[in-house]
Amino acid sequence: MIRVSKLNCGYEDQHVLFDLTFSVKSNQFLMILGPNGCGKTTLLKALAGLLPYQGQITFNNTDIQTLKKQALSKKIAFLSQKSAIYFDYTVYETVMQGRYVHFKKTFFKEAAAEDHEVVQTYLQMTDLLDLKDKSIKELSGGQLQRVFLARVLVQEPQLILLDEPTNHLDLRHQLELMTYLDEWVKQPDRLVIGVVHDLNLALTFADELLLLKSGQIVAHESCETIDLNVMNDVFETQVVAYMKAALTRWKR
Amino acid sequence: MNKSMRRRFKLIFLISCTIVMLLMGLTVGGASIPIRHVFHVLLYRLAGIQLPQYVEVTTVGLIWNIRLPRVLLSFVVGSSLAVSGSVMQSVLKNPLASSYTIGVSAGAGLGAIIVISFGISASFLGMFLMPVFAIVFGMLTIMLAMVIAKRVSTQLSDYSIILVGMILSVFITAMIRTLASKNASHAQQILRWQLGSFALRGWVVVGIVSGALLLLICCLLHDVKEMDVLTFGDEQASAIGIEVAKTKWRLIMLSTMLTGVAVAFVGMIDFIDLIAPHVIRRFFGSEHRYVIPLSALFGGLFMVFSDLIARTILAPSELPVGTVTALMGAPFFAYLFLKNGAKKRREL
Repeated sequence: MIRVSKLNCGYEDQHVLFDLTFSVKSNQFLMILGPNGCGKTTLLKALAGLLPYQGQITFNNTDIQTLKKQALSKKIAFLSQKSAIYFDYTVYETVMQGRYVHFKKTFFKEAAAEDHEVVQTYLQMTDLLDLKDKSIKELSGGQLQRVFLARVLVQEPQLILLDEPTNHLDLRHQLELMTYLDEWVKQPDRLVIGVVHDLNLALTFADELLLLKSGQIVAHESCETIDLNVMNDVFETQVVAYMKAALTRWKR
Repeated sequence: MNKSMRRRFKLIFLISCTIVMLLMGLTVGGASIPIRHVFHVLLYRLAGIQLPQYVEVTTVGLIWNIRLPRVLLSFVVGSSLAVSGSVMQSVLKNPLASSYTIGVSAGAGLGAIIVISFGISASFLGMFLMPVFAIVFGMLTIMLAMVIAKRVSTQLSDYSIILVGMILSVFITAMIRTLASKNASHAQQILRWQLGSFALRGWVVVGIVSGALLLLICCLLHDVKEMDVLTFGDEQASAIGIEVAKTKWRLIMLSTMLTGVAVAFVGMIDFIDLIAPHVIRRFFGSEHRYVIPLSALFGGLFMVFSDLIARTILAPSELPVGTVTALMGAPFFAYLFLKNGAKKRREL
């Protein structure tokens, strides 16, 4: 579904990703793991078409650089880690903004009845229906994260890119989110790629793992077959030993 | 009462206030004219209905040739400044941004002053020479402010753009003063213009300015959805499907043109662009499909009110309208700044 070849990407003063080549089939939940600064977010942004890059990214055999902005946003949605809020919008208004590419192409680009239905559906799914008229400035970090998640979902994309989606979420909402994405991705022509820091979540929900270190791929394998000892190398710490210690306690 | 009902009530209230204010602008003044007479004059000029005996011919002249153009001009200028302010705030993701705080109006002012003090003339531009200079200089100022602010911090969202704009404003104002003192012959004209006034503008100016400003405001209404999304940051806007660079450029261009035209024909009038969008957001929410048209309404209303005070409070002499808006606007700006500061401290 998505194919990345010889991807080089970075910022003005810093080259971040070096010659990444990988591909992911549809209906997969791919999680990217790696230490801080290894290029996880940069990779997501390149996939979302938000950063200039060298190399090629094709989505369903179409080079994403040939797609117009609006066409791209109908296929690929991106949940950013950072979100700036300066003005008071209600939850409903904020989520509705995700429908932008679906709005009627009239002078004022109004929302159609269908847009309202979609927003309503996803507000319910993200447990925000009771908050829909509340100002986003009054929400907790977790509630806000769910608002932005809903905004991504109403875009009705085929590929969802998530940059640390479980940030600020309490355990219940973390699990609900992951379970939902797990179901979402099973429908035809869909794919989820997420960056997480929580190994437990990754190992529980991911179909495939992509391990990054210093802008290069260390491993890209299915969760079932991956040799976990490679984690020690990626994170330069005794990850596996910690996980095992935790597991022993759980068993007690 | 549900939300949309409440909104409708507030809207009706705002529109009624605007109509009352416009009528007050026509009745109150050096010579106060009864409202009945005003209606007669309007009916006479617009529909050709015969004037009653008790309405004097001088009243017709006063209303039709002096007060009405003045009230209309102040209304459209107030509207355009307010709209330009709301656009700037959205594009720069900063509730403190306005053409005044980021230096656009000072820049536009410098452009116009250069025309006055160097006596520049270009016959093919005619009376559009000043607006063209004002717009070009306004654009240059905002570009300079953005370039410098980017150097200070890569996120335009913080206070750096305001600080840079303020610095530029002060610097440009100093340049204007230098030009004014060098050209003693034009000093009076420059000073009057710098403080802004709606006095004695004919129907031609009113027509041109209103036409231009209404057209620009309509163009901006096309981008209300984009403005909403842009307040959340460029990256989010881009991911949602907006051509960020192109849209921002277009919006900045249009709002600078609004300020430029207003400043060039009327002079520098501060603070309306900052206040109006805030008041509207407070009562109608942040969605720009409301903020843009209603800021236009409120900005116009507020400007007519300011002008009314300017010409009555010290009558028969007249206070520059820029002084009135600044007298009311500066405390409001301070209040906003302090309120934001307090909020930041609470979050820490």
